[in-house]
Amino acid sequence: MTDLTSAVEPIVSARGLRKSFGKKEILHGLDFDIPPGRIYGMIGHNGAGKTTTLNAMLGLTSCQGTIRVLGEDPFARRAHLMENVAFISDVASLPRFLRVRELFALLANIHPNFSQQKAQSFLEGTDIRPDAKIKQLSKGMIAQLHLAVVMAIDAKLLVLDEPTLGLDITYRKRFYRRLLEDYMTEERTLIITTHQVDEIEFMLSDIMFIRDGDLILHMQMETVNDKFTQLVVNDPAHMEAARALHPVFEETRFGQTVMIFEGVDRAQLEPFGRLSTPTLSDLFVALMQRPTANPEPAR
Amino acid sequence: MKAFLALIRREFIEHRGAFLIAPAVLVALGLGVAILAFTVGKADFRASGQLATFTPSIVFEVGFLGFSFGWALYLIAALFFYCADGFAADKRNNAMLFWKSMPVSDFKVLLSKLVAALTIFPASIFLAALISGGLLSAVVLAAALLGGGQGWASVAFDAGMPARVLLSYVNVAGATLLAFALGLLWYMPFMALVGAFGAVVGRWAIPLTLLLPTLISVLQWAIFGGSLHPFISSSWQFFEYRTAFPLVDGYISNWFGSGLPFDFTAFATDLLARVDWMQMGIGIVFSIGVIYLASEYRRRSNDN
Repeated sequence: MTDLTSAVEPIVSARGLRKSFGKKEILHGLDFDIPPGRIYGMIGHNGAGKTTTLNAMLGLTSCQGTIRVLGEDPFARRAHLMENVAFISDVASLPRFLRVRELFALLANIHPNFSQQKAQSFLEGTDIRPDAKIKQLSKGMIAQLHLAVVMAIDAKLLVLDEPTLGLDITYRKRFYRRLLEDYMTEERTLIITTHQVDEIEFMLSDIMFIRDGDLILHMQMETVNDKFTQLVVNDPAHMEAARALHPVFEETRFGQTVMIFEGVDRAQLEPFGRLSTPTLSDLFVALMQRPTANPEPAR
Repeated sequence: MKAFLALIRREFIEHRGAFLIAPAVLVALGLGVAILAFTVGKADFRASGQLATFTPSIVFEVGFLGFSFGWALYLIAALFFYCADGFAADKRNNAMLFWKSMPVSDFKVLLSKLVAALTIFPASIFLAALISGGLLSAVVLAAALLGGGQGWASVAFDAGMPARVLLSYVNVAGATLLAFALGLLWYMPFMALVGAFGAVVGRWAIPLTLLLPTLISVLQWAIFGGSLHPFISSSWQFFEYRTAFPLVDGYISNWFGSGLPFDFTAFATDLLARVDWMQMGIGIVFSIGVIYLASEYRRRSNDN
């Protein structure tokens, strides 16, 4: 299910990426390329290996295999790489002892690609004042501030690991809208992990599903739309005929049977019920079935 | 270099409570006490009643040196707590990932903490010592001016007194600066060790650093024997030697009570001659090595 074909030089390239903590292997040899100018959603259940994969990309952890970000080994060259890579790994990670203006002044000297003016402009229209102490800001305001900081960095790759965790829906929507409207360009690449997959689906160009340390799906959203079909079967008489086409997932919702098919022609499915493209969360549930986590695997 | 200086500045902002606000409060208290003493007619602070029968500049020199010594003790204590706390602060404050998202290496971050401990923090305390000395000089001059020759300040004010006190001030300030600088370089390996342990085990760094000489000494005694108990081993003697900075021996002890004006040149010549420069150099190299090892731990801390 992995689409590795790419004509341009990838921003991130991993081959045989493995990571173990003690005797437990977390990543089982991932292979993938991430081309520039894309918005990637990296999706997986808790403990699937998303954060470990991101940490490997960001040089925060050493791994077996090969990983290159912007052509460099991130673990060996993290400090240099961070000139062109920005990330939010935890919304609460801003230094709480600083005031907002102190943070901006420090970053202007520490980060060669940080623009203090941009950061200030991103805060216009918010309740965050330059003299405010970060420790006195609400969680949502800290998320806004952190986003302003990373958006003010002229980076080629932005990595967001659960950036909106714990925020209410208003902040989450504002967060992603700002990101799309004020930051994304064709030259920039964005990788997001979140459990709130429905909220980011509209902005994604590509998805990666990681299950138990394996990359089980890696493709463009357009391909997902072409490849996966959701069928809602109303008539029990069609059930067996539909099952004969081997759905990857089946469940009953409000008395209706919902099936998800992979690579089955829509014309074949049309007679059995209502067709649609599965949402990311439906696809997530369908493909993330694990014998250990879910005692009722897909039929 | 700009980034490195910014990292030092952030250390100062983070720890300004211990190195700016607290000293400022202490100096303000001293100023308040001085003003109060004049207000209630006890400008001699009782103790200076006898001392003021000597030359006011010597009273001032002794007082200023006393203040400087007090500030040095404050500095040593604050720096050791800073090293244990500051090197672990990013982890404790949950800000580690933020600083790791910056284009600066872990070594540079930890080195900036050590350099802050050797420069900007002592500079702040030195400034407090200078202000304390200035305050004391004002008290001595005012006491001589207001009550000179009248018992508690029996040496009368004369026109040359401000110049003599100023000269004393410069001499003692220079000695304080030199003692701070050499003392910090001498104790640098201890600070680096506490800092390195701090990067690994947080605040437990201080007891761990204190325990280390005992452990090494006991190990030497257990493995090689040769003495009645572990605390007469060569390693223990080395630690005793290495923790004692030769400040008060030599010129200071000879000068004290001599009645002569304090002489910075004589103090500096004596102190520079008694410093073990070889040990100083080894200590600096050791410090950088220890900080490098701690930075490697920090770099891999996600794996730990």
